[in-house]
Amino acid sequence: MPTLPSYPFTTHRLDNGLQVLISEDHLAPVVAVNIWYDVGSRHESPGRTGFAHLFEHLMFQGSANVARGEHFATVNAAGGTLNGTTWCDRTNYFETVPSHHLATALWLEADRMGGLLEALDQDNLDNQRDVVKNEKRQTRDNQPYGSWLDQLHELAFPAGHPYHHATIGSMQDLDAAELGDARAFYETWYAPDNARLAIVGDVDPAEALSLVEKYFGGIPAKGGFPTPPPTTIPPRIGREIRKTVPDRVPVARSFLAYRTAPFGTKEFDAIQVACAVLGGGRGSRLYKSLVLDRQLLQPSDGMIVDSWPFIGGATVTVADLPAREGVPIDSLEAAFHQEVAKISEGITDAELERAKAMLTSQWLHHLASVDGRADTFNQYATLLGDPGLVNEALPSVLAVTAADVVAAVGQVMRHDNRVVLTFIPDSPDEQEAAA
Amino acid sequence: MTLINQRPEAGEPRSWRFPAFERRTVAGGQLLAAHLPGRPLAVTSLVIDAGAALEPIGREGVAELVARAFSEGTAAKDAYEFGVAAERLGATWRASSDWDSLRLGLEVPVGELAAASELMAEAVQTATFDDDVLTRVLDERIDELSLERSQPASRGAEAFAAAVFADGSRYDCPDGGDPSSLDRIELADIRAYRAARVARETATMVVVGDLESVDLDELGRLVFDGWDDKPDDASPPVVSPRAPGRRVVVVDRPGSVQSLVLVGHDGPPRAIEDYVPMTTMSLVLGGMFSSRLNLKIREEKGYAYGAFGSFDTRKHGGVFAARAAVQSEVTVPALLDMVGEVERMRADGLEPAELAQATAYRSGVFPINFAGVMAVGAGLGDIIVHGFADDHFDKLREQVMNVTLDAANAAAAARLRPEDLVTVVVGDASSCAKDLEGAGLGPVTVVPDQQ
Repeated sequence: MPTLPSYPFTTHRLDNGLQVLISEDHLAPVVAVNIWYDVGSRHESPGRTGFAHLFEHLMFQGSANVARGEHFATVNAAGGTLNGTTWCDRTNYFETVPSHHLATALWLEADRMGGLLEALDQDNLDNQRDVVKNEKRQTRDNQPYGSWLDQLHELAFPAGHPYHHATIGSMQDLDAAELGDARAFYETWYAPDNARLAIVGDVDPAEALSLVEKYFGGIPAKGGFPTPPPTTIPPRIGREIRKTVPDRVPVARSFLAYRTAPFGTKEFDAIQVACAVLGGGRGSRLYKSLVLDRQLLQPSDGMIVDSWPFIGGATVTVADLPAREGVPIDSLEAAFHQEVAKISEGITDAELERAKAMLTSQWLHHLASVDGRADTFNQYATLLGDPGLVNEALPSVLAVTAADVVAAVGQVMRHDNRVVLTFIPDSPDEQEAAA
Repeated sequence: MTLINQRPEAGEPRSWRFPAFERRTVAGGQLLAAHLPGRPLAVTSLVIDAGAALEPIGREGVAELVARAFSEGTAAKDAYEFGVAAERLGATWRASSDWDSLRLGLEVPVGELAAASELMAEAVQTATFDDDVLTRVLDERIDELSLERSQPASRGAEAFAAAVFADGSRYDCPDGGDPSSLDRIELADIRAYRAARVARETATMVVVGDLESVDLDELGRLVFDGWDDKPDDASPPVVSPRAPGRRVVVVDRPGSVQSLVLVGHDGPPRAIEDYVPMTTMSLVLGGMFSSRLNLKIREEKGYAYGAFGSFDTRKHGGVFAARAAVQSEVTVPALLDMVGEVERMRADGLEPAELAQATAYRSGVFPINFAGVMAVGAGLGDIIVHGFADDHFDKLREQVMNVTLDAANAAAAARLRPEDLVTVVVGDASSCAKDLEGAGLGPVTVVPDQQ
């Protein structure tokens, strides 16, 4: 087992509530600037699904001192890369720039944190609504199996729960979004006291902090953030939920979801190790049995089964099972359940060591880049309230025992706690009719 | 509210160079190693002159099968045992081919470099390529391709290759093969390609990481000792574009809510004089968020989530392609806008401000692109594949900084050929084929999806 690095960092809070984390790393002359706003699709109002993500797009359309299109152009002209993403629990924005351009990245983020409304207009909204609708078409509606994620959310979380809808939202709700919604969303959620800023890389911490003070210090706190919609949910589903979708797809493919204790819990850690034992890598049980020995499942480089880092009452552990050509999906699914059931007989020390060695390297790989590390600091700070978990998360995963894995699989990966969503190929005749 | 309205000045840039690396000959094999201090993970890999461009015509996809079969059974381990052995080291095995190389190796905690290199040697020297193994690897690939082709982007790339290059020419199908080439491949073809192309002479080892306490000679011996295979001579591939002129191919997918569109033509290989100005020009056309194609198609019109365009320069030729996934209703207007941007770039060239922005981005982003061990390993791989000098990336960065407007405009005039644009649409033919006929994009052919 390699020696685990401990990443140094300092934290600060500006008078306006902005929480700042600075972590030095001088291996390369680059710096990552990363902001998490504590708002995601979980916070959306009824009839406005997809709005948090649509709003994220508007954040790139200019602000008080930044013209439309200039945000991207300015970072690119600094030799930097950038983007933003939205998920259920948060929205993040990030730039990686050569370190002598740190001030530019901070200035741009501050300008849109404090001055977005000066640039927000109907043209921007209409244009980005079209862009987002095409993003949805490209990633969902025009992709084989493209609706799996949206459907899994609907099946795994009951109506009324904020995870019942996926982040992309519905076309209908996107169409209904108005400029007033955008203003209200910004005024409600986008504030220094609802954000965390991480700066990781080739910086002098004192200098970086004074730049943060300079650019963000004048943005007023907002406070009074609404209580997010409640996320209370039973820890288990309590029954099996099945749905079969005939569609224009080349082979049958099942997506399974098990309700799981949220990110940051002991059960979540144990399930992560269980996922690695079961479906992480070519030496995993599912790979051996389903891919190599029985040739029922299409191989992939990713995890066959994995958990998502949700915090709203519960999360899900998700398996992706594309069948080999000609394999009945029932056989594949049955074989999967068999392997899961066998965990109750125990796992060997060798299996546990393999899983932990893989999880360790994946963690080190993820944290190796300044942008990955900045994002992870903010993930732990925003979702679990403690950025220091970046240095503690792996040790707590490595403390999981074989008995913990067996217990967690027994609790979570049960018949009465799962969603089974299965796509099966349409017959050609049905395709004609559908067209 | 107090925002600072004055834009910050940039600080003093810290100097940056591509990481220094050394070349060694160990046990008759070539080794490149770059020392990157402070990184917990390291890379050990082989870059082999066994890419897809050298495959026998009609057996396209065989290089990828060779790459995959190395981990599926060796003299000492079956596929599962090999996976376990790598993963117990905390290593992830990766092997794949591209047009100009076959690359395989592991990213691993630096203390396990020797054990990982030994596994890599076991794979390349003793993989059995048994019937059972090769049958499974081939069948898995056929299934994977069917899954890939169901995605518009993959189906479009296949149709574009076939529309740009003549049948039987190199590059007339994607580098992983197509259904008909995979259908023709026999197990013996896979063994034959390995025997012809994979050998100590065609392989270069690449090691990147914190090499402070690593014995490179030992690593090299682990991999090269006893590796006696001899490669065959490879004849250079024949690349023949189809006849010049515009034409359109529609891959019909009834009911599609978007059209995946590709517009382009054949392009030059990597080794050309104007590579740097050409690629800076294409960055302005379609390689950045603020490129002309993306601004027009996404930010002005809202037709697509994004639009891009670039040259893919391979060793023996290449392509230029602009691409986007556009809402079905606007297929033709979007295509005309895209073609219009290519024509405008060819005719009028770049604005000075566009050149300045592309130059600043492209030269500035080197330290970000080469910050990690995997990226530096990939960079060394490119040096091996194209036979670049040791100071290649530093020289390249200098050249990037010195591209003139005249040079970029000359590259636009020489390398973009609007009159030869081939258009591929993967979408609902009933909603666009008629409009395409009169759009000035050339004769339209509609083909069924499953070809």
